[in-house]
Amino acid sequence: MTAAVDASTANARHGGMSFVERRRLFLAMLGAPALLYVCAVALWPIAQGLWISLHDYSLLRPDRREFVGLGNYVSLLSDDYARRAILNTLVFTVSAVSIEFVLGFGLALLLWRDSLFNRVATALMLVPIALTPLAVGLVFRALLAADFGLVGYYARIWGISGPRGFFGDPGSAMGAIIFIDVWQWTPLVALILLAGLRALPTDVLEAAQADGATAMQRFRIIVVPMMLPSILLALVLRTMEAFKLFDSVFATTRGGPGDGATNVLGFYAVKEGLEFFNVGFASAISNLMLVLVGVLAMTFILVIRRADKRANG
Amino acid sequence: MIISKYAKIGLAVAGVSAFALSTASAQDRPYDGMTLNMASMNDPFAFVLQDMLPRFQEETGIEVRLNILSYPELLSRVTADFVGGTQGFDIVTTDNVWTGQFADAGHTVVLNDWIERDAEEIQVDDIYPVLMTSLGNFEGQQVAFPFAGYANVLVYREDLYAEAGLEPPQTMEQLVEAAYALTRPEVNQYGWVANGQRGPAVAQDWMQYNAQMGGSILGDDGMPALNSPENVESLRVYKALFDDTTPPGAVEYDWGGREESFRQGLTANQQTWSVASATYDNPDMSRVVGQVGIILAPTGEGLEPRYGVGGWGLGINADVDDRRQEAAWEFVKWVTSPEIQLDMAAMGGGGYIRISTVTAAELQDELDFLPVVHQSFTNGDGEFRPRIPQYPEIQDILGDAVNSVLVGDRDPQEALDDAQARVMDRF
Repeated sequence: MTAAVDASTANARHGGMSFVERRRLFLAMLGAPALLYVCAVALWPIAQGLWISLHDYSLLRPDRREFVGLGNYVSLLSDDYARRAILNTLVFTVSAVSIEFVLGFGLALLLWRDSLFNRVATALMLVPIALTPLAVGLVFRALLAADFGLVGYYARIWGISGPRGFFGDPGSAMGAIIFIDVWQWTPLVALILLAGLRALPTDVLEAAQADGATAMQRFRIIVVPMMLPSILLALVLRTMEAFKLFDSVFATTRGGPGDGATNVLGFYAVKEGLEFFNVGFASAISNLMLVLVGVLAMTFILVIRRADKRANG
Repeated sequence: MIISKYAKIGLAVAGVSAFALSTASAQDRPYDGMTLNMASMNDPFAFVLQDMLPRFQEETGIEVRLNILSYPELLSRVTADFVGGTQGFDIVTTDNVWTGQFADAGHTVVLNDWIERDAEEIQVDDIYPVLMTSLGNFEGQQVAFPFAGYANVLVYREDLYAEAGLEPPQTMEQLVEAAYALTRPEVNQYGWVANGQRGPAVAQDWMQYNAQMGGSILGDDGMPALNSPENVESLRVYKALFDDTTPPGAVEYDWGGREESFRQGLTANQQTWSVASATYDNPDMSRVVGQVGIILAPTGEGLEPRYGVGGWGLGINADVDDRRQEAAWEFVKWVTSPEIQLDMAAMGGGGYIRISTVTAAELQDELDFLPVVHQSFTNGDGEFRPRIPQYPEIQDILGDAVNSVLVGDRDPQEALDDAQARVMDRF
């Protein structure tokens, strides 16, 4: 009886609209500004980017714009040079993010226990993150230069690098770029994972220890499964950022040496779009990046969600 | 009453005089109070210009706000401004290789009529003809006015040449011979240095070398001919020279790295723009003070001398209104006038366009390389880098190809064949 009254009250009409309808309208109005904002700054530019990518369109000759359908994508995927950029981007992203994750997790575990030293170390870890990536690239370029670099000169003399230096050898240039990225961004991964570690319930870990679980067992069976949300956050954030690599390549190798040893999609897109102003082709590169990074991020999410389900039920 | 009458007359005379003066002043300073925005390359002339701008404001009432930018930033921002029609800059320094692109797109004002109108004031005859053409003219349209010309010269270590009993090279063959003779890696001394970094850096240095060896980027039909037999052979020799006589890290060098290696005493020869000449004798920057000779760039034996010239012109944004364009033209005339050019040269601007500046007696002691600049400009070649609309892409593709040869990724023939195919896609 009460429920029937409530339902009739809820459906009571006021000014031609039921309570439920008015509530829906109110909620829609609350959400409208955010929706408009997302449309204006994300969806509309993405749609524009998609549309532009279907054209042969140079800003230098805007009057000669021509619809080419998927022509830019066909060129992108059939060109050796572009294919190498895709491969380089994947190699860089997988290598850099994997190393950063392993080192970052190790650092987070080392800094887990609350002590004065660990607090100071955590604060110092923020320094690389706070630096501008372009400045970091320039500093490493100077440090690793084969003829004058503080590190690069001795690395060459002692045979650690090739005769043309780290950035001058196609075999080591990508490694050097990965090293720079690892140096700068491992602390961020460590901080995210450290926050996850600090949020773990200590009673569960203490109980496991009391039950005789070894440190490795506690790590494998309790820490990792409970850390999955933090791990997902760290991996997705870093993957998306690594995929957009531009600054350190621009500052050090400009995509070289040789046949595009460090040419990555981000650098390629900037060069086509902002140096040559071929915005149609540059948009196609950007859209391809968007799709690839989306696929990678979704893969992470699915894998970790499945693992989370298996571990936590 | 009489006093009052005289007072009235006096007041009237004073009033008329004041009106006449203000009218004259308005006629002399028609743009008084206007502010112009200028985008400039961060070459030495920009910093000298910064110091001179108050003088222009004092004379004309026009304030010029100078934005000093790096090369890639300048190109991106200026092009974005032109393309977007945002009128951010009224005046822009224009690299001579951009003129084709700017003319094609109609980004800057075509100055031909104004140059004709103000010919007497400008004294065009005093400007080196090769600079008048190459620093702003494209197919008859003057889309920029020459502002700072540079000569490509050979810079060498006099002490090392004397020690080895060598004469300064007159031909490319002699230069190559000297480069090998002066290479002694055991004492960290290398005979030659050039830009090796992928992209514009390596492309520009090779194009200069290639021109001196008789090669050319465009064929007789005006279309790219990157893989011509002459170019392939020139790149083959260049690769050998690069491998055997440059410092180990040269493959990473851009212009700054190349200059630094020379100033630090690592290398014995380099071809470079004359704008850097003043830095070799600066003890704050250089370890080779008093040991540097500057001579004409050598040419291959039996070939006509081709002295590369480059530098900057001043373009006026075609999107700004007529009055701002006229005011900008006033500035261009002022800053390129004989008097201001002489002052800028004396202050270390490093770029020259006028015969009267380069031959000025008062500069010869301080800038003893000016006779070389004069000779280079008199017989200069501003076309060794093709000034066509597609130049930026050609330069970049060529830069990839030359760098891939230098690091051993590709054979010269294969690299230039591939570059030719990629360049033709852009036409």
